[in-house]
Amino acid sequence: MKNKVYQPATISEALDLTNSEKDFIFIAGGTDVIVNSKQGNAVADVMIDINGIEELKQFTVRENYLEIGTGITLGDISRDNRIAELFPALREAAISVATPVIRETATVGGNILCENRCNFYNQSEWWREAVGYCLKCNGDICIVTGGNRRCFSKFISDTAVAMIGYNAEITIVQSAGEKIIPLIDLYTGDGINPFRKEKESIIKNIILPTDKNFRSEFRKLRPRRSLDFTSLTSVVTIDSNGIIRIALGGVDPMPILITGSVNDNLDFLIQNAVKKPRVIDNDYYPRRYRKQMIEHFVSTSLNNLLKI
Amino acid sequence: MRHISLKINGKSYDVLADNSEMLANIIREKTGLTGTKVGCNQGSCGACTVMVDNKPVLSCITPVIRAVGKEITTIEGIEANGNLHLLQDLFVKRGALQCGFCTPGMIITALNYVKKNPNAGREDIKEALSGNLCRCTGYKKIIDAVCEYVELSSNGVESIPVEELNGKIIGSSVPFIEAEKKVRGNAEYADDIRFKNPLYCKFLRSIHPHAKIDGIDVSKALDIEGVVYIATGSEIPEKFGVLTVSQDETAMAIEKTRYVGEIVAAVAAESNEIAEAACKLIDVQYTPIKPFFTIESSLNDIGDAEKIHEHCKFNNNVHKKAELRFGDQKEGLKNADIVSQMNFEFEGVNHAFTEPHSVAAFWDENGLTLITATQVPHYVHRALSKVLKVPLSRVRVIKPYVGGGFGGKSDPFPHEIIISYIARKTGRTVKTTMSREEVFITNHGRHPSEMTMALGASKEGKFEVLDADIAIDGGAYGSFGVVTSYYNGVLLQAPYDIRNIGFKTYRVYTNKPQSGAMRGHGAVNSRFAIESLIDDLAYKLNIDPCELRLKNFYNENILTVGEFRITSNGSREAIETVMEKSGWREKFGHLPSGRGVGVGCGFFISGSALPIIWNEYPQTVVHLKLDFDGRVLVSSGASDIGQGSDTMLSMVVAETLGIDMQKIYVLAADTLLTPVDLGSYSSRVTFMCGNAAKSAAENLRLEILTAVSKKTGCNISELNISEGKVYSNDRKVNLEWLEAVDIVTAHRGAITVSGNYISPKLGGNFKGAGAGLSPSYSFGACIAEVEVDKNTGQVRIINVWGAHDCGKAINPLAVEGQLEGSWHMGIGQAISEEMKYYNGLMLNNNFIDYKIPTSLDTPEFDTNIIESSDPEGPFGAKECGEGALHPVIPAVANAIYNATGARITKLPIKAEDVLEKIQNAAKEESVYA
Repeated sequence: MKNKVYQPATISEALDLTNSEKDFIFIAGGTDVIVNSKQGNAVADVMIDINGIEELKQFTVRENYLEIGTGITLGDISRDNRIAELFPALREAAISVATPVIRETATVGGNILCENRCNFYNQSEWWREAVGYCLKCNGDICIVTGGNRRCFSKFISDTAVAMIGYNAEITIVQSAGEKIIPLIDLYTGDGINPFRKEKESIIKNIILPTDKNFRSEFRKLRPRRSLDFTSLTSVVTIDSNGIIRIALGGVDPMPILITGSVNDNLDFLIQNAVKKPRVIDNDYYPRRYRKQMIEHFVSTSLNNLLKI
Repeated sequence: MRHISLKINGKSYDVLADNSEMLANIIREKTGLTGTKVGCNQGSCGACTVMVDNKPVLSCITPVIRAVGKEITTIEGIEANGNLHLLQDLFVKRGALQCGFCTPGMIITALNYVKKNPNAGREDIKEALSGNLCRCTGYKKIIDAVCEYVELSSNGVESIPVEELNGKIIGSSVPFIEAEKKVRGNAEYADDIRFKNPLYCKFLRSIHPHAKIDGIDVSKALDIEGVVYIATGSEIPEKFGVLTVSQDETAMAIEKTRYVGEIVAAVAAESNEIAEAACKLIDVQYTPIKPFFTIESSLNDIGDAEKIHEHCKFNNNVHKKAELRFGDQKEGLKNADIVSQMNFEFEGVNHAFTEPHSVAAFWDENGLTLITATQVPHYVHRALSKVLKVPLSRVRVIKPYVGGGFGGKSDPFPHEIIISYIARKTGRTVKTTMSREEVFITNHGRHPSEMTMALGASKEGKFEVLDADIAIDGGAYGSFGVVTSYYNGVLLQAPYDIRNIGFKTYRVYTNKPQSGAMRGHGAVNSRFAIESLIDDLAYKLNIDPCELRLKNFYNENILTVGEFRITSNGSREAIETVMEKSGWREKFGHLPSGRGVGVGCGFFISGSALPIIWNEYPQTVVHLKLDFDGRVLVSSGASDIGQGSDTMLSMVVAETLGIDMQKIYVLAADTLLTPVDLGSYSSRVTFMCGNAAKSAAENLRLEILTAVSKKTGCNISELNISEGKVYSNDRKVNLEWLEAVDIVTAHRGAITVSGNYISPKLGGNFKGAGAGLSPSYSFGACIAEVEVDKNTGQVRIINVWGAHDCGKAINPLAVEGQLEGSWHMGIGQAISEEMKYYNGLMLNNNFIDYKIPTSLDTPEFDTNIIESSDPEGPFGAKECGEGALHPVIPAVANAIYNATGARITKLPIKAEDVLEKIQNAAKEESVYA
């Protein structure tokens, strides 16, 4: 792997590079991108390392919301008192990612843009040749399902699930200017191209509303208590207006969001949460079990939150 | 490439590198600071952790450009003025390291964390270290050391005193003699050794599980600048294998490939990158043929398909059938008052040592020298001679520091042969280090197994009859498989007295990486089965599971039904100890629903009484040399792979000679310089090499006393050596060690003596009688306490109380380390580890997806050493490195049954299976209600 590496100091420098370079990838913490490129996925001639951009590392407290710079590490997220107080599920999500050492390098921006994963994709080039390349690496077929249309690689960001539960928005910056979109809209649901984002754009920050008095619960299914990617992440929140948000990760090519209200039939919400994700057998746990766990996690969280 | 300036440990380095090169590579290859290790090269094991501006960073996934202008600290920068940092010293003195490969990363991570969290508690520390995988220690001593460091440093303590042994060495907890080197990052593992102008070798591996090779075109690859040699299978056609009876493997596939990952060609080039690029340009034409992936498909007649190996006797892929019967099991089971019978399934597991296979070879005026991460230099020596057709006298195999083995480095390997061959062809040193993916597909791990087992007992709970039908999946080649086939059955005949016992094992070939020997070899899965049946009988008979076992244990000094000679036997003491320590009687049957305790027992050999290659050479020989300087050189072929055998040798010799360990120098595992030892497998080293070293030291002692007696006129029976002095009972002779050395070396020079170990003749006169024979057996018991979430089926192991009879703990610190490491590895197999395949291709060939328990997943261990004093072991010692693994897995499963009523018959234990069983049990209950 021999790439040219640029280390822009500002967002605008980084955006300029996207105009002058054709074949590039961004790296933030790099803890996933670099492993992927070592395996021959995510390869490009040029790496634009945005890790040194101070503008991306700002915590900004506004009147009704908090802006979290995407360059902030998961370690710093997990130690921030404001987040612990207002968005405890985000703190728990951050602590649940990878390992303590990785969290000191991995950024929250990198986490929400973490490439989807699949047993048949996150492998060496030799391995993927041996298995016959799958849809996600320019092959003709999804090896898990045998289908030739859809890639079901898993969306695995834990922090995005939490932030979607808190109804987060993101600021995307491009040469043309900035735009703010709901975080959930960042995701396409297509396992091959999971992000609805111009390649030449950078997500500057994540905006979390601070005036909603969220109650929330975070849960994660994984075989070990460290290191593992998620097999199911669920965050359930209820805001001051009684709006329920059920956000799920690790079970579909994109995060799943079910919204409702405390007055709705909760069983209906739960069943929606079980039905909506396109769970397939590309995980440590089998499909059926993960479905069962969605039901268990969501109903337990709803019970816990509504008890209070 | 450009000039990059780095500041490492306060010193500036100017290197030529690409900005995108990984920091680990620069540190290791371009600054020579090889203390930083690479275990996975994917940021998932933590071995490569360094500090960059006081932040821990995984250097294997950090582009070097990120470290420019920053302060980098590696393990070499932790000590100050030649003195170990307190945490390094604690790692040494508290036994927080074994193989030492994860140690640098572990220390860096821990130091950084404690610096920022000076009041960290035990749970915090477990969490902080949960990204640093250790495969040897079970984490306990690491966490202990870090906790002690927190406490000491909060009290301002900067160093801890050296503990004096006061003359008594055997039985004292002695840090490994090489431990300081390991915590400083100075111990050289195979990949750390630097050579002049080496070539780097990479392998092209088969992408088909079973395929004819129609042609290999290497021309394009040869055209690349920097490619020096490309070898293919037909150049090295001689077959080899660790067992004389299964020489079924060649260095590379020749006419066909038998598993995905088998080496088809090897490229030696001026750099790893060039070799890798060249591999991609080799064009191999394959014709795939029908592959076999399951035990069932290989057991049955395969019709018109092609067998995996021509030499299989029938039209199937059965490699070996092993059967032994004592008594009539059918009849016995029919007549027993009560029978428990179950079917069991076990996935394969891998050793997952942290140091990848690594090797270097060169030829010079002395023939071939191979430096390799191996447990068995002797068998590598023989295999190289045979395959490369070079006299035994022209082959030298050196074992450097080895980063763990657990059985996974105990075969001669294709890569060792290939690079030796290419080194001869090119006249240059050739080296190769495997990726983690290659380590996994090289495998030789525990056999995936299926078995049906039945145990019959009287209504009083006396075991009467055992029958086992076993099939094991050997993968593509033989390895230790014939032994594994027997061990699965014969190692069921203790620790319980069962007179009517029989088994039949089929080992089949499949088109997967080969299975082989792994810690607890051959007996782990069948031990799980029998201990589960015993548990089931206990509930059916309404007898406490511990009491039921106590009723059936063999005593000391007996012959088992298959004529194993059991001498010392600490079974009773082991189970009684864990019963007491765990509060078994208060807990069993009295815990809240979802919580449970379970017990398991086991036993294991202390070395095989019969050597693999049948000859009259002793099983091990140890030489001692004493010269004018008073130092004793111990030379032994024993391979220290992190278990501490060098330290054991030093302790045994020092104790026998009555001198301190400072006067001992251990030279080990170099087939030119050290006498033959058969290797570090079958838990033989302490027993056999310990005995040989003791015997050599006794011979040297006699030489010294004879010389002193002759010189002083004092009768030899009046003379003693201890505490570094040679003296008579009346103290009229009272010599310092060096004075005595002067006397014994006068007119003669250096003294060399020898000791050896030959197992006594053991066993019966029937076919298969030799399998499992050992001069001594270890015994043990574990109790596990678990909590099961009845809504999810998730199992949390809360505590493990373990006791192991090692005869005599020569070095309790090392024994505890072996026990805790064994329990850790057993827990991995119990709850999370398995090798998964898709069409013969290993799916989880990395440390993210192959799930070794982290520090957070490993329960607290209560470690108990039982000392039954073996009559033939050195100072009473016997094995402790493998046997402890056996009881822990069934203890966990039995605890789950106790907690939930879910009987586990498949490993690893899956939450979904537990949940389903809990739900089914609930349904049944409601039907009866």
